[in-house]
Amino acid sequence: MQVVVNGMTATFEAASLTVAELLEIENVGSPEMVSVQLNGEFVDRANYGSTRLKERDEVDFLYFMGGGA
Amino acid sequence: MNGFATKAIHGSLLRPEVHGALRPPVYDSVAFEFPDAHQIQLAFEGRKPAHAYSRITNPTVDEFEQRVRLLANALGVIAVSSGMAAISNVIMALAEAGANIVTTRWIFGNTYSLFEQTLKPWGLESRFVDMTDEKALSAAIDSQTRAIYLEVITNPQMQVADIDRVAAIAHERGVPVVLDGTVTTPYLFRSRDHGVDVEVISSTKYISGGATSMGGLILDNGLFDWSRNPKLAPYAKKFGPGTLLAALRRDVYRNAGACQSPHNAFLQTLGLETLSLRIGKSSANTLALAQWLEKQPKVHRVNYPSLASSPYFERAKHLFPLGAGGILTFDLAGREQCFAFQDALHLVRRATNINDNKTLILHPASTIFCEYDGEQKAAMGVRDTMLRLAVGIEDLEDLIEDLERGLAAL
Repeated sequence: MQVVVNGMTATFEAASLTVAELLEIENVGSPEMVSVQLNGEFVDRANYGSTRLKERDEVDFLYFMGGGA
Repeated sequence: MNGFATKAIHGSLLRPEVHGALRPPVYDSVAFEFPDAHQIQLAFEGRKPAHAYSRITNPTVDEFEQRVRLLANALGVIAVSSGMAAISNVIMALAEAGANIVTTRWIFGNTYSLFEQTLKPWGLESRFVDMTDEKALSAAIDSQTRAIYLEVITNPQMQVADIDRVAAIAHERGVPVVLDGTVTTPYLFRSRDHGVDVEVISSTKYISGGATSMGGLILDNGLFDWSRNPKLAPYAKKFGPGTLLAALRRDVYRNAGACQSPHNAFLQTLGLETLSLRIGKSSANTLALAQWLEKQPKVHRVNYPSLASSPYFERAKHLFPLGAGGILTFDLAGREQCFAFQDALHLVRRATNINDNKTLILHPASTIFCEYDGEQKAAMGVRDTMLRLAVGIEDLEDLIEDLERGLAAL
């Protein structure tokens, strides 16, 4: 499947992914300090495992602590 | 790893140190480079946890923040240049012109000045109540209230509010509690366990490890739903629980520029490692001195929450089971006697600081509160007869000997 991660199209072998799986595959650093947006909407941390991505979904990882804004 | 001291010493090494140094280096660097243009774009967009510019984040400051986060069990921590920077950053993030905060006149003189002199002309109203008067507190809150602000133990009045009740009242009305926990730190008072939403700390005091450096801390305990704050609601859609931290890092903190220097963060991380030892000794010394002062005929009154005579004794036992910190106040006959007492001391230093390793003495009415008239001072609970003793970690016998010298001069 294809997902737009942080503005870049990424292709994954899996036919279906959850937000939690994407965080792991993308090796997102300091996951406790990242907010996830799915198609512009905030995703509650408690729902990472149950939120399933669809083809061409846009996912953004936004750090509320580190980063160089 | 559950103990405070163990966490303070071993906690949160973010990444392996390149040379295996047990004491991570000071990253005294303003800017950080990136391997390619896309990476720097991601960092600026906040999509990559990288350091770009030390006004916003720095590895040494980050280490300090993470260590405090671990100790306090907070959602996130931002280190700033001073305790006053912590307060001003939080209030500016939460409130806007036309809004109000509910606080008390029984707060640090410079905090009162920040609210009444600095922020008032920008349109922030400060409503002053007695934090031990639940009805007055509740009545002061309205739809424009953006925070309840109080100190854990008021300085120099030594009042202890029922913080759990203050939090309950605030939360019923959808308002966060901001608490200055400088004089207790997360070692003596676990603000998260008592419903405090945001804790601000002057790390210049206990945490710096002996008045080595200026610093402040903002701790978001992760308890408050920031979508209830009109100013932060747009951020909440993106950041959820991390809203306040994001609003600070991407707006107020970044733009106001009150960052902590890496060198200070290094010193304060070092201070953190011995905090439990120093604050324990300081609290024990303070209680012993308070009990000793109470027995002295020339001393009219002693205020310390852990004294059995304090109206806050039971509350202090509940809130501060390990001790009530290193500040006490006592009253002599008048200002003249207060000055004579101070001038006779050899060991105790005349200086305006608290929670140093050294014991310090100050006459609040003629110093921190000198800009206020008699009526204002009375409303702020600052008496001309009052001395503040900020007790350090010296040997108790030497401190008593010096205070005896002060009393002998009267």
